[in-house]
Order: sequence, then C-alpha cells, then structure tokens
Amino acid sequence: MSDADAVGEGRPSRPALPSLPAVTRTRLLLAPLVLFDLLAFVVPMGYLLRVSLSERSTRQALVRGTWSVDGYRFLLESSLLRRVFVFTVLFAVVATLLAVGLGTAYAYAAWQASGAVRTVLLAGIVMSMFTTLVVKLFAALVVFSPNGVVNDALVASGLVGTPLRLINNEIGLVIGQLYVVLPYTVLSVYSVLTSLDEHLVEAANDLGATPARAAREVVLPHAVPGMAVGGVIAFAWSAGAFAAPALLGSKSELTVAVEVQNRLTSFEYPVAAALSVVLTTVVLAVLAAGLYGLRRRGGGHDV
Amino acid sequence: MTGVVELDGIRVTYGDVTAVEELSLSVRDGELFCLLGPSGCGKTTTLRAVAGFESPAAGRVVLGGRDVTGLAPYDRGCATVFQDWALFPNKTVAENVAFGLKMAGVPAERRRERAREQLATVEMTDHADDPPGELSGGQKQRVALARSLAVDPEVLLLDEPLSNLDKRLRETMQLEIKEIQERLETPMLYVTHDQEEAFTLADRIGIMNDGELVQVGAPRTVYDDPVDRFVEAFLGSTNFLSGRVVAGTGADTGVGPDAVAVEFPVAGLRTPVPAGDDLAVGDDVTASVRPEVVDLAPAVDGAAASTDGGAASEPDATGHADGRAILAGTVSEVVYRGSNVRHHVAVGDGAELFVERPVTDAPGLAAGDAARLSWDVTDAYHFGPDGARVRP
Repeated sequence: MSDADAVGEGRPSRPALPSLPAVTRTRLLLAPLVLFDLLAFVVPMGYLLRVSLSERSTRQALVRGTWSVDGYRFLLESSLLRRVFVFTVLFAVVATLLAVGLGTAYAYAAWQASGAVRTVLLAGIVMSMFTTLVVKLFAALVVFSPNGVVNDALVASGLVGTPLRLINNEIGLVIGQLYVVLPYTVLSVYSVLTSLDEHLVEAANDLGATPARAAREVVLPHAVPGMAVGGVIAFAWSAGAFAAPALLGSKSELTVAVEVQNRLTSFEYPVAAALSVVLTTVVLAVLAAGLYGLRRRGGGHDV
Repeated sequence: MTGVVELDGIRVTYGDVTAVEELSLSVRDGELFCLLGPSGCGKTTTLRAVAGFESPAAGRVVLGGRDVTGLAPYDRGCATVFQDWALFPNKTVAENVAFGLKMAGVPAERRRERAREQLATVEMTDHADDPPGELSGGQKQRVALARSLAVDPEVLLLDEPLSNLDKRLRETMQLEIKEIQERLETPMLYVTHDQEEAFTLADRIGIMNDGELVQVGAPRTVYDDPVDRFVEAFLGSTNFLSGRVVAGTGADTGVGPDAVAVEFPVAGLRTPVPAGDDLAVGDDVTASVRPEVVDLAPAVDGAAASTDGGAASEPDATGHADGRAILAGTVSEVVYRGSNVRHHVAVGDGAELFVERPVTDAPGLAAGDAARLSWDVTDAYHFGPDGARVRP
C-alpha cells in the first residue's frame, strides 16, 4: 500500500462517492428529472396511444387487450369529426395570429412607454395571470354579453343600433381564447424587446425613418424570436382549447378538446384517444417547425 | 444667422431638473465644433436637442437657416453618430450604410453604389456583406460614420463616438475623423469629455458646465485664456493655491496703483495681483500655477552661490525676488510618466505642488531632497471669489 492510499484511507467519511466517473455522476443527477418526465409524460402518452389502438365497444369504454385502428378510421370517416378538426386548426390559427399581432403591438407600446405608464401596462398583463382561467372567462362573458359593458358603450356612442352578438359564437370563442393566451405573447415579445438598444430606434429616426418605418425596419426584426415563441405557445394552447369554447362558444363551435370530452362521456375511449393523439401530433409538428424556422433564421438568438 | 447650426437660448428640462440652461451657440459652415465638459454637464442633451431627440422647453434650433425646433428627428437633415454606434444588427454593413438613402426613397441600385462609395471612404469595402456584430470596435465606428455621412447631412452630430475604444485606436480614429472632416468639409458638432480629444479635433471648443456654455474659442485661446476657475481646472491638471486679499488698491503693493495684495498662507506668499476694482479686502482668491511654468531646482542654502545666474537670488519678505514667487519645499515623490517626470513637492502645512519636466530636462531630484520652486508671477492665473478670472 502506497502512502497516497494511506492518506485516502485516513478520511473514511466519504468512502464511495469520489470513485464514480463523471458521466455516471451526471446521469445519476439527471435521474430524478428523467423519472419525472417518464411518469408524467411518456407513460400517459404511451397509455393514450395504446387506448387509441384498442377495439371500440358499444357496451363498455373499450375492449381490453385488443388491437385495432377503428378509432382512427372513424376519425377519417366521420364528417363531423373532420369538421371539428378543421374548425379547431382554423380557430387556433386565427387566435394565434391575433394574439401575436395584438401582443406585439401591446408589448411595443409598453416598451416605448416609460415610468408609470409602462408599469401599469405590464402589471395589467401580469395581474390578469393571477386569476384562474374560468373566472377570467366568466368575466369576459359579463363584459361582452349583449347587455354588457362593451355593447352598452357601442350603443351609447351610436356606432351600432342594437347590441352586437359577441358571445356564444366564433367571435366569443376567439375573444375568450385571446383572454387566455394574450399575456403569454405580450410577455414573450416584451422580453426580447428589452434587449433592443433604444438608440437603434433613434438612429433609424435620425436617418429619416418615421416611427412606423423604424418599427418595421428595426423593432420588428428584433421581435421575431419573441413573436415565434409567443405564437407557438398561443397555437399549442388554442389548438387544445377547452375552457373558452365550453364557456364562450356554442354547440356549433366544437373544438377537438370539447369533442374529446364528449366522446369520453359517451364511453368512446378509442375515438377520444385517437383524437388526442392526432391533435398532439399536429401541435408537436407546428412546434418543431417554429423552432426549426427560428434556428435557421436567428443564429445568434438564444430561444 | 451665419452658422449651420444656431442654438438660440435653448433650455432643456427633465421634470424638475434643468439639464441645459439658456444655451446659445453657433456652428460655422465647415468647422468641427467640440462641446467639451464633464459628465452630466448637459453636452449630450444639447446635441440631442439639435438632433431632435429632446424638445427644448424654450429657445430655437435653427439648422441651415431653417427653424427646426418643432420638427421630428426624421425631418431635420442632420445625422448622428452614437456613442454605442447603434448599428442595425439584422442588416449587413452595406445595408446599414444605405439605410438613410432607403428611407429617402433612393432606388436600390443607386443606394448600393453610394453605400460602396461611403464604405470606400472609411476603408471598409471588404466588410460590405458582413453583419455588424462581427466587426471590431474601430470597424463599427467607421461604419457608423459612413452611415451618417451617406445621407449627406447638413451637420454631423457625434456623441462621444470614440469613448468605447482603447487609447491607441482612439487616437488613430481622431486623426481619421479630422481628415474626413477636412476633406468633406461637413460641419460637425462633436461631444466629448476628453480635453485632449477636443484639442486634437476641434476648430473651436465650447466648454460646458452645469448646463451652461462657459467659454467658446479656438483650442489655443481657451487654453491660454481661461475665463474662470472651472475652465482652468477642467482643461488640464494644475496647482491651485488659496489666498485672501489683505490690502486693497492704492496700498503699496509695489506693482502699481491697480493691484491688490493677496496672501497665500500655505506658500507664505504675499503677491500683488493687478485686479482693478474687481477685488476688495477680504475676498477669497485662487491662484492657478500650472505645472509647466514652475521652475524646480535643488535648494540653495544661505550664501551658497546659485548655479544658474540671478534666478536664485534671495526672496524678500513677501516671498518674491525679481518678479518671481519663490518657495522652499521637500520633494515627496518623483513619478516617471514616460516622456515627462512629475515631481510632487511638499511646501508645508500638508500642501503639495506638482511640477512637470521633460525627462531630458529633469533636475535630478529624488524623494526627500530639499527643493526650491519658483515661477513668474505673471504666469499665474488668479480667480475671484465667484470663480471668474481676475484680469490684469
């Protein structure tokens, strides 16, 4: 036994740990996270996939232990479900475009503002996130109902003769969904704008650009990563929207999530699962496309 | 109105704080005018008022004979080089340079051509297609200059454009800017806190303090003839001696009827200062003795003969001999500063004067040596209680 070993043995308080190779140690440290991911996401998704590939039954939710693509076939064959799908994607696209557009404008206004105005604009966004979705949507119901504040104001100003129908239709659905996703698009755009040097806007003005031109030439290109991130969040959330359609839509505005709920309550588990799997795939594809586009364009941007 | 830029009594305030107070100045055609002052003196605010980024609460801004006071920056016809250069990161170097022309609606072909010309002027043609993020500080500086010059501005405004560069590069760029300015004859309003930079570049310097323009003049004039204590202190390091008027005009000061006698307790001097009626008995006076006018020699003890003629004759009771103030002290530190040597000399009561000599002409004194300081009293500048210069 060499002297060095003797020294090592003189500290028996930490006997095992130092001998682990670095790679093993990293894996051990990652283990809890991997385990959580596995339990929270991979296992349920696997289970969902399995259910979607089970045989349908008229007497129970599904026939255990069977394999079948009936759920998916039904999805293709049912014109109702196709309509639901197309409507959902269309709705998600509209909500996303509006959320990104309005969110960018709002974030730009907050960024340009200073002092108290900026604080109020940002606090308004952040504080709206303190409330639960359902409460927010009921508030929207009150505000946009035929005898709500918005319609009262419109009628009083003489812009419209009779109150507009702003809820229980597509408009209500989109308004409700904007309530949900707008804070995220605003904050993701605002966060990239904070890294924009204000002198750049001044430099553009100085070289002859009007404020609108400077916004387009300088601010917008800088905001693109934030808009993309906000857009992906808005799209993923809108594609899976349940609360807004349930509360502010009507029977004719069915989204996939609402339809999944309908199928579950009528014990058609394979169809419900197949719907969920296809929706998840679409959202993942959009997410991947968004991130790929960003990486190709951005280069220097950390997203 | 003769100048390209005429500021007529402008006042700029931020809330309760007045950043610029009643400031008037004129930049002549083809000249490089430096606004010089310590940070927070309002020089950048003044520049921003010319560019249109600040709107003055009072006064007028006239550019090329046109009153632009109420106009937005994009309607003014001047161009700014920012301290951080503010190059557009998502555009190439050439696109940056062409930006102003694009805003002016110049066709793409003509824009590219002009951008190439401008880049050639600053020797950046090879980098035309690079993103600005990949350039070094000096290269960014050149691109920013080219971008501003591309719009052929009435006046070019530069806001401490070199302060983010290291000393050597700064000096190179100063000469380049000067050279470009002389070639193109574009009037420039240049803001800096660095007096050496101002002296190198400027045709005329305007010195600002506390929101006010204190003195305007050619570099040499300003240096040789400072109007007040602030300018004297700001333009270079100097020795200030505090004193007080002990005898008014008419008393026997030995210089003439218009002089007052000022006593400087630290130095043990009682100096006649030609002041007319500017000073009264009891007024505080500050004398500035610049390090280069002070003569430094080894102390002569008593009867020992002077080595350099009459300059070392014994001082009289007021501390003077032959029109020179004479002071005994002890060298406390000798600092080699490359081309010159700075001697710190303790003159009693904890006061210390410093004297600079070229290395080739250093008196060979070391710390601890007794020394004798002297200067011609007419080489000293005197400032009254309000800081204003007391003129002969």
